[in-house]
Amino acid sequence: MRAIFRREMQSYFYTPAAYVFMGVFLMLGSVFFAVGNLSARSSNLLNLLSQLSYLWMLLSPVLTMRLLAGERRRHTDQLLYSSPCSLGALVGGKYLAACAVLLLTVAATFVYALIVAIYGRLYLAETLVGYLGLILQGCAFLALDLFVSCFARSQMTAVIVGVGANLLVWLSDVVASAVTVEALRYVLKFISLYQRFAPFARGQLSFSNVLYYLLFIFIMLFMSVRVIDARRWSEA
Amino acid sequence: MIVFDQVSKRYGAYQALSELSFSAPKGQVLGLLGQNGAGKTTAMNILTGCLAPSSGKVSIGGFDLLAQPREAKRLLGYLPEQAPLYDEMTVRAYLRFACELKEVQRSAIPKHIAQIGEKTGLNDVMDRKIGNLSKGYRQRVGFAQALCGSPEVIVLDEPTVGLDPRQSSEMRGLVKALSGEHTVLFSSHILSEVQSICDRIIILHHGRIICDSALQALRQGERRLRAVVACGEGMLLPRLRQLKSVKYVQVERLSEAGTTQVVLTAEGDAPVERELFTLLSGLQTPILRLSPVEDSLEEIFLRATGDAG
Repeated sequence: MRAIFRREMQSYFYTPAAYVFMGVFLMLGSVFFAVGNLSARSSNLLNLLSQLSYLWMLLSPVLTMRLLAGERRRHTDQLLYSSPCSLGALVGGKYLAACAVLLLTVAATFVYALIVAIYGRLYLAETLVGYLGLILQGCAFLALDLFVSCFARSQMTAVIVGVGANLLVWLSDVVASAVTVEALRYVLKFISLYQRFAPFARGQLSFSNVLYYLLFIFIMLFMSVRVIDARRWSEA
Repeated sequence: MIVFDQVSKRYGAYQALSELSFSAPKGQVLGLLGQNGAGKTTAMNILTGCLAPSSGKVSIGGFDLLAQPREAKRLLGYLPEQAPLYDEMTVRAYLRFACELKEVQRSAIPKHIAQIGEKTGLNDVMDRKIGNLSKGYRQRVGFAQALCGSPEVIVLDEPTVGLDPRQSSEMRGLVKALSGEHTVLFSSHILSEVQSICDRIIILHHGRIICDSALQALRQGERRLRAVVACGEGMLLPRLRQLKSVKYVQVERLSEAGTTQVVLTAEGDAPVERELFTLLSGLQTPILRLSPVEDSLEEIFLRATGDAG
């Protein structure tokens, strides 16, 4: 797993992927911070974190698009599958690398907290809870997009389908209200990541939601492994 | 070292491999021949764990590939038809990654990479990006990757495809150097290549083995002799056809007036030379030239695939 993690990290920074992800996220984040905190003279970072959490939806496919789809396109998947590395370690290593880039990006936003702490009053506990929610939300989207990337051969397809899947999962409670089938409505409401993030955005730590995110991530990674394994049995 | 036991692979209604069974001992260079779609790449993908068989069992070094994949794959190096390269990495970083994947001890990796670089002639380009290398060098990098971890079994799927004649020759030299130390499974549709590298060939046709033999034995199944005799065709041919050892007589051309050039086909161990000499000495007809006709692998291949329909 360590070899996969290292290679993916190198690859993120050898190619524009990580720079695009971090650059766009921090640029938009800075705009949100300037408008919502500096101009408004507000020391409440929770609104900012809530706004930042929307960006994961659009940007997380940038990190995951090449993880599996790129390997298939370049035929480097054969190198990985013929190595002693298990599929679990392969998927895990790739996922952790994407999470590491996400964490580095989040770490860069601590500057906003530092500015607030210097020039205003930082509500540390609430802000930390908000950050935890932001990170869990981002990691959940990464896991979902990694799973989606299993089905795509081209990176562009992986991005488009990834953004679509993110929107669906994010807004599934909105979709649920238009659905008449009770069971489907229940499932859509259950998978809505928007609902899960709401308590964190208020600075409330909810263990059930933390557990939900962790379970969501585990299921997505597990399904990714199963899809890759199933392809070995069926692919022409 | 490699055992295929009744391995079949089906893609929907299409049967890609049918009950393939063969084994290769340590140190053997085994050539897998076949037309496009014969099942060579499928067999190799199954052997390397990239594909799972629909039925049957594959083992490497005594380890079942499905039950003990990690142990089996530790013994394996694979160069697929399209070399699996990361263009953004340098050759050194890529080989380091391959060594880590093959679980080479971290402290031993730099020395191991240097040895492989020397063996494959890559030491001069170690710090260049793979994306900037020529096709020949890229293929060498793929080959070097297959050597990482000093695997006992090396699988090479058409390693000379797309290379110019000089690069192909260099690649064949690299593969030849592996014989004895490693078991090599080598696929190609270039028959002369297999002829020059392999100890044994397996010919696949429509997913079945239609020929599995040592190269030497293949040639010994039937042999041919070319004779130039100082005698007219009309008198010679009926007599030649009566010889017990001769299966076919084929007239090639009349080289000069009063001479006939024929190719005689006989069973491998039949005393055709003795019978021919006895016949012609009785007729007081001199043999001007007598030489064996070397069967090319092309002919063996076409005969085998033609017979199989």
